[in-house]
Amino acid sequence: MASFGWKRKAGEKVSKATVQLFEAEAEAEGAGRGEGEDEVDWLHAIKRRREVLLDDCATKSKRLKDEGALLAEQGRQWEAIKRWDEAIQLTPEDAGLYEMKAQVLTSLQEVFQAVQAAEMAVKLRPLWWEAWQTLGRAQLGLGEVDLAVRSFQVAIHLCPTERPLWEEDLCWAQKLQRQSRAAREKEEEEEEVKQQLLHAPELIPDYDFESSEVVAACVTIAERQKRYDSLRKSTVLVDSSGALVTVSNEDDEMVPQDQFVKARCL
Amino acid sequence: MSTQYSILFKQEHAHDDAIWTTAWGQNEKDRTETIITGSLDDTVKVWKWSEEKLELQWTLENHQLGVVSVDISHNGALAASSSLDANIRLWDLESGKQIKSMDAGPVDAWTVAFSPDSRYIATGSHLGKVNIFGVESGKKEHSLDTRGKFILSIAYSPDGKYLASGAIDGIINIFDIATGKLLHTLEGHAMPIRSLTFSPDSQLLVTASDDGYIKIYDVQHANLAGTLSGHGSWVLNVAFSPDHTHFVSSSSDKSVKVWDASSRTCVNTFFDHQDQVWSVKYNVDGSKIVSAGDDRAIHIYDCPM
Repeated sequence: MASFGWKRKAGEKVSKATVQLFEAEAEAEGAGRGEGEDEVDWLHAIKRRREVLLDDCATKSKRLKDEGALLAEQGRQWEAIKRWDEAIQLTPEDAGLYEMKAQVLTSLQEVFQAVQAAEMAVKLRPLWWEAWQTLGRAQLGLGEVDLAVRSFQVAIHLCPTERPLWEEDLCWAQKLQRQSRAAREKEEEEEEVKQQLLHAPELIPDYDFESSEVVAACVTIAERQKRYDSLRKSTVLVDSSGALVTVSNEDDEMVPQDQFVKARCL
Repeated sequence: MSTQYSILFKQEHAHDDAIWTTAWGQNEKDRTETIITGSLDDTVKVWKWSEEKLELQWTLENHQLGVVSVDISHNGALAASSSLDANIRLWDLESGKQIKSMDAGPVDAWTVAFSPDSRYIATGSHLGKVNIFGVESGKKEHSLDTRGKFILSIAYSPDGKYLASGAIDGIINIFDIATGKLLHTLEGHAMPIRSLTFSPDSQLLVTASDDGYIKIYDVQHANLAGTLSGHGSWVLNVAFSPDHTHFVSSSSDKSVKVWDASSRTCVNTFFDHQDQVWSVKYNVDGSKIVSAGDDRAIHIYDCPM
């Protein structure tokens, strides 16, 4: 179970000074290379070619992978991804490369690409729980809460002792799942009430306009209208403990203009 | 009666997601055979096995998360299921109704196993305790402490004397049920033990581990009697045949292997699944095997008798 230390570091803890130093060094290096561009160093070129020949794909890929990890730690995510893409060209079966790429893409909010990379990782190594965790987190980024809950469950099933999977990932994803369900249900309810309002059964029959039936129909329609308005004015909120509350927006004293218009067609 | 191993029946798309667990039971009264399956789709399905066909009887939908383990009581009347939602549920198989729900606490319900008298259900917990719930009371009645790590697998010996547990760090513990004493601790594998099973005479214990090996122990003397290799990946489940001659294993290498218990050789390999095979079980007389896994299919195999 290879784990990458920087996964849990979340990048922020890398000191700024180190990053600056690294960047300055890299610049200096780049400048140095620029000067000597027209002078071809044949001796080293030959040497390098031999190195390349000796270097098989796996070791070269490993070096690129480590370089990428270092760059990601320094906060240079795009450069890291470039290294890993090169490494993937050399060793397309290495799940670790896709997994790391997915983590960094998630942190860059490149959600779609992140999910794609993580999916590749779990396809190549389906028994690797960390790849499933990374996939779940990427799916959350994409808003695919149900899929994320599934991925975290697969990860737990493979490695149930990993407590953060239960306490953080799954718990959080389930909370989001409940919230999105509540919001969806409210939307559906609102839609249903609206439909009732537009196609009110009271509007269909022929009324005897002198009777009290008309008054009764108007009252039901008005009541339904009130319910719709109250539904529209309320919002599903989530308090800090994760409990769901439906709150009506008190300040919003929006009274629809068409309140009784519907009954007019009687 | 067949003379060779063969696949008898396939139920494709038995669940909406991976099948993690199966159990095969027989009703004491009417001799009907029932197979139950638990899945990542949060459901437990109850199937009737008759005329060499599976027929869906119930879909039990009370669990909120994936179903990790199921078992059928020895009289064939009850089923138990545990889920990642931390609940153990007890079901009446005839009516398909939930009888009880027991909150085991988060991370504290994994493999469930009925005791041979079907009065208790044992499950492992993350602190290395084996919790034993009463079927009648629906409460935790006592617990056995291995002082070890997360217990993934549990098995009662058929004579009711022993309970064995397999932990995530590869340690096996064998308890004497009558006294509650820890009899043996075996450092069997270096990797998680996802399944273990006793022989019908309760003399042998077979263990399956992520290290790809199957080990056989002599229970009384706590001796290692054999190590079997053959699977190319994690061994996910093992089950002993009721006729004592064979046992069966399933693996994430997508295969199901039948082993001869005396010669300790693999006598047949089924390569019919498309994905990891999480669960494998014998029927009551040992003439059939059921397997299920990530490809959502249930397979039934014929065994030579």
